[in-house]
Amino acid sequence: MSTTVSFARRGLSVVAVLAVIVGFYELYHWVWASTGWTHPFIVDDTSMPHIWVILHALWQPAQVNQPALGTILFHKSLFTAKEAAVGFALGAVIGFALGIILAHSRLLQRGFLPYIVASQTIPILAIAPMVVVWVNPKLPAGLQGWGSVAVIAAYLTFFPVTINTLRGLQSADPGALDLMRTYAASRWTVLWKLRVPSSMPYVFAALRIAATASVVGAIIGELPSGLQSGLGGAILNFNQYYSIEPQELWATNIVAALLGITFFVAVVAAEKLVVRRAPENIA
Amino acid sequence: MSSYTITPGSVGRQAREWVPAIAVFVLAIAVWQGAIAAFHIQQFLLPKPTAIVSAFWDQRHTLWPAGWYTFKEALGGFALGSLGGIAAATLIGRFRALGNALMPIAIAANAIPIIAFAPIFNAWFDPLSPNSKMAIAGVLCFFPVMVNTLRGLTSVSPRQIELMRSYAASDLTIWRRVRFPTALPFIFTALKVASVLAMIGAVVGEYFGGSYDALGVLIRSKAQILDFQTAWAGILVASLLGIALYLAVALTERAVVRWAPENRPS
Repeated sequence: MSTTVSFARRGLSVVAVLAVIVGFYELYHWVWASTGWTHPFIVDDTSMPHIWVILHALWQPAQVNQPALGTILFHKSLFTAKEAAVGFALGAVIGFALGIILAHSRLLQRGFLPYIVASQTIPILAIAPMVVVWVNPKLPAGLQGWGSVAVIAAYLTFFPVTINTLRGLQSADPGALDLMRTYAASRWTVLWKLRVPSSMPYVFAALRIAATASVVGAIIGELPSGLQSGLGGAILNFNQYYSIEPQELWATNIVAALLGITFFVAVVAAEKLVVRRAPENIA
Repeated sequence: MSSYTITPGSVGRQAREWVPAIAVFVLAIAVWQGAIAAFHIQQFLLPKPTAIVSAFWDQRHTLWPAGWYTFKEALGGFALGSLGGIAAATLIGRFRALGNALMPIAIAANAIPIIAFAPIFNAWFDPLSPNSKMAIAGVLCFFPVMVNTLRGLTSVSPRQIELMRSYAASDLTIWRRVRFPTALPFIFTALKVASVLAMIGAVVGEYFGGSYDALGVLIRSKAQILDFQTAWAGILVASLLGIALYLAVALTERAVVRWAPENRPS
């Protein structure tokens, strides 16, 4: 009973927040357009199309004899979601495994951690074409094209997971560690019974970041790979027609935003199931 | 504290700390170079390290000015986004009701692939001007800095605040003497994340169109004409500049946040 009430309240607050955002957007549009202010940029129906124009575009076909833009974008977002989900799973597993390996050796940490950090300073968009050309031929037919994009998504996903797994494994209570030692627990037992459970809040904090990162990776990976079936391809495509029909790019971006939020919410829901009694504010 | 004062002993210890990293670097380069020679990997897929380094050297007169151009965009966005994030968090931390109302928006905004909005920023600000890239880099930096600063400002123990109040300290004094110093480690953690995001944001923004002086445009056009050696050399420049900005923030942190223990939560 109380859960339905809190659910309804949460739904109401989401609606309220959306209304406020839309209100501010339209207010900004109205003030800047009616006063003719040009800073920081010129506001007109091209630079900031009205919300209702954007929403209306979702029900309209983008081209003649095609389904509505909303239907097309829905299918494209499923494609991008597939890439992101596979990349997320791949990155999470690799990141977690790397974290466990590194946690067991100071020497490995000193040897590899600087490069794991440095790997994230590489602009992924720049290496994406090379990854696509390199990975694609090695993939089986079913993974052709989108498989290499998933690899790029995994590249963005693994980093926060590795760093936080490492930190979480080291966060085990020293008293509990001593207790395990006095019972002559093996390294393996200590790892699975103590270190991994105590790392869970950290791991999930990382997975929340990684959820968004995997969607970013999937969209960015599609840009240079020439894939037209996903949201990245749609963004690139509608970007070219922005001066004529800006609402289509805006609609695509709103769908992309919804996809990112969906991934985030999915991880938060999974976290609620796994970590029942986690402290609230763990970075 | 002691790690900051450099004594001959600590230099030796620090050098030893870096030995494994250097060993891995040398080994990785050797394996990379060896694998390409042994398995006859085509040069256009993955050039040899030596080829990248020679392109890096031969093209230095185009690569570095391009890198500097993009770096300035990243730096501008980093400054704008970080200052905006700290200011917003200060405001939100001061007025709790405002914070409670805005927090869901901030969390949702954090889950949005902001990079997808780069073309819109290019349409808002002239795509050829650095402003559009500064804007996208700034927005990318804003959210992590704001969220972490707020977390830092609100992580002050209530007893410290009570103590300050008992001395009749003003809100401003409490902010300056207690809240802000407590938040500093959190802020620097976010600034390190933001430093990397700023450079990536600038390069990605350039992908959707930018000046020919810019590094992202250079990498893209070189990859298109299959000059992958120069493209990789450009990527190397971008990474080096990203690492430089990261290190600058990390060194500032060590100089400013001296009281924090080495392995504080970040």
